[in-house]
Amino acid sequence: MEQETAPTVAESVMPPVPAKAVVVHKRWQQRLLQHLMVIGPGLIVMEADNDAGAVSTYTQAGAQYGLHLLWLMLVLLPVCYFIQEMVARLGIATGQGHAAMIYKRFGKWWGRFSLFDLLLVNFLTLVTEFAAISLATQKMGISPWLSVPVSAAALVAMVITGSYLRWERITIFLCLLDLVWLAMAWAAHPGAAAVVHHTLIPNAPPKGWTSDLILMVIAIVGTTIAPWQLFFQQSAVADKKLRFKDLRSARLDTLIGSCFTILVAGAMICVGNVMYRHHLNYEDPAQMAETIGPLVGHWVRNGVLLFMINAAVLGTTAISLASAWAVAEVKEWPHSLQMPFRKAQGFYITYVVCTALAAAIVLIPRAPLQLIIIGVQVLAGLILPSAIVFLQLLLNDRELLGDEFVNKPWNNVVNWLIVCVLFILSVVLAVQVIAPNLFPANP
Amino acid sequence: METYYNVWKERNAMKTTANTEQPPLYVVHPLDDAPETKRSPDGLRPIPMRGSVRASLIALRCYLIAIMLLAIYRILMLAGLFGHVAAK
Repeated sequence: MEQETAPTVAESVMPPVPAKAVVVHKRWQQRLLQHLMVIGPGLIVMEADNDAGAVSTYTQAGAQYGLHLLWLMLVLLPVCYFIQEMVARLGIATGQGHAAMIYKRFGKWWGRFSLFDLLLVNFLTLVTEFAAISLATQKMGISPWLSVPVSAAALVAMVITGSYLRWERITIFLCLLDLVWLAMAWAAHPGAAAVVHHTLIPNAPPKGWTSDLILMVIAIVGTTIAPWQLFFQQSAVADKKLRFKDLRSARLDTLIGSCFTILVAGAMICVGNVMYRHHLNYEDPAQMAETIGPLVGHWVRNGVLLFMINAAVLGTTAISLASAWAVAEVKEWPHSLQMPFRKAQGFYITYVVCTALAAAIVLIPRAPLQLIIIGVQVLAGLILPSAIVFLQLLLNDRELLGDEFVNKPWNNVVNWLIVCVLFILSVVLAVQVIAPNLFPANP
Repeated sequence: METYYNVWKERNAMKTTANTEQPPLYVVHPLDDAPETKRSPDGLRPIPMRGSVRASLIALRCYLIAIMLLAIYRILMLAGLFGHVAAK
């Protein structure tokens, strides 16, 4: 008769390994894998922010002001990080989205107001994403009647698979494709010394601070830090079920994403700079691609068109998801990419409706793309301060977050400074509206 | 005497085993891990209206009203209601 062997000392001390755990042998492997498993929401939110509107704004900035606004991207790097870090912290601490948090802590009025703002700006932005897909594919000889519905169908298909991870992996792959912008910037020969100089030393273009330049700066700020990003990242962090111990990795994720997005944005400015150097007239990114093709190589022409589509696809999936998560959180519908369609119908239907309606509007002929894009960036810039004020107040809500997750005093100083700068930019924009001749116009 | 020796030997063996066999290092994906209790706002009263919160919300209201009025003014100006067309 066989006797049962007693567990060794080591066995009795060791905790049981969870069923789906990945076993590693070294501490550094454990840390690396931990970071890799958490990376996603921060990278995606930042790179999806380089959407079609951003491609347009950054290349226009390069085309009209050369490399003179590169320093602004360096200034915006910490701004992006500090704002999104707060969002990630709030998402990890509460496990709930931003819309739900505003609704529950500030009441129905502010909750509905924030949701309405978000849905309005998001929808207009979605229209510009599909307009960009239509424009780029037209230049490539593909009818928008084919490209726009196919893109919309693909965007729906990548979300409704019932797997958060599948969606995240596809989206990260699309984000990483944006590295090609760096190669295109290299091909544009902006000159390394000039790039470093204009990045590190703030300087105004030769014509000085004109009203157009101020509008461009506000548009750049509006496109680099958009309201939907706050809602998206917090909901994504909640949907991915990040744990308290993942906070450090989530911060790293956000930092990597911030650096990545600023690097790609700088590359877009360098590509637009070709137009500036040759004194060419800029209309939109597709026209720019056609114009600079003979100057820097036809692969750059095709690259700009293809990556404009990629930017629009990334933007669409992130923005539609931000809307769908926000609506479902406020309505208290089940909302997770991990759920199959039948279990989270309201959430998925919101996503599908946002995507399909924006795609349908774009198929109405002769939409003024460039005007809509700049208009949306400006509108987002105006609404952004209100979104950030709620974020800042939530991060000081000690009753909700406790001492562990609440903002530290230095956090508050930095963040209130950012809020003040954004308010000032918005007021400048408002003054531009009421007194357009206050600043000298372009000669 | 022999008994004490055996106890010492056993303890020594246990120490050696514990020192050489490290617990396994493992990583669990957040989606596969057991859910943890979060700091939920459910059950909490709305955010306390301290001075800073009240001031921020009042400033926000004023800002939004001002922006709305400016937008309406701009639209009316573009519609020619004030007798002239605005500069572009």
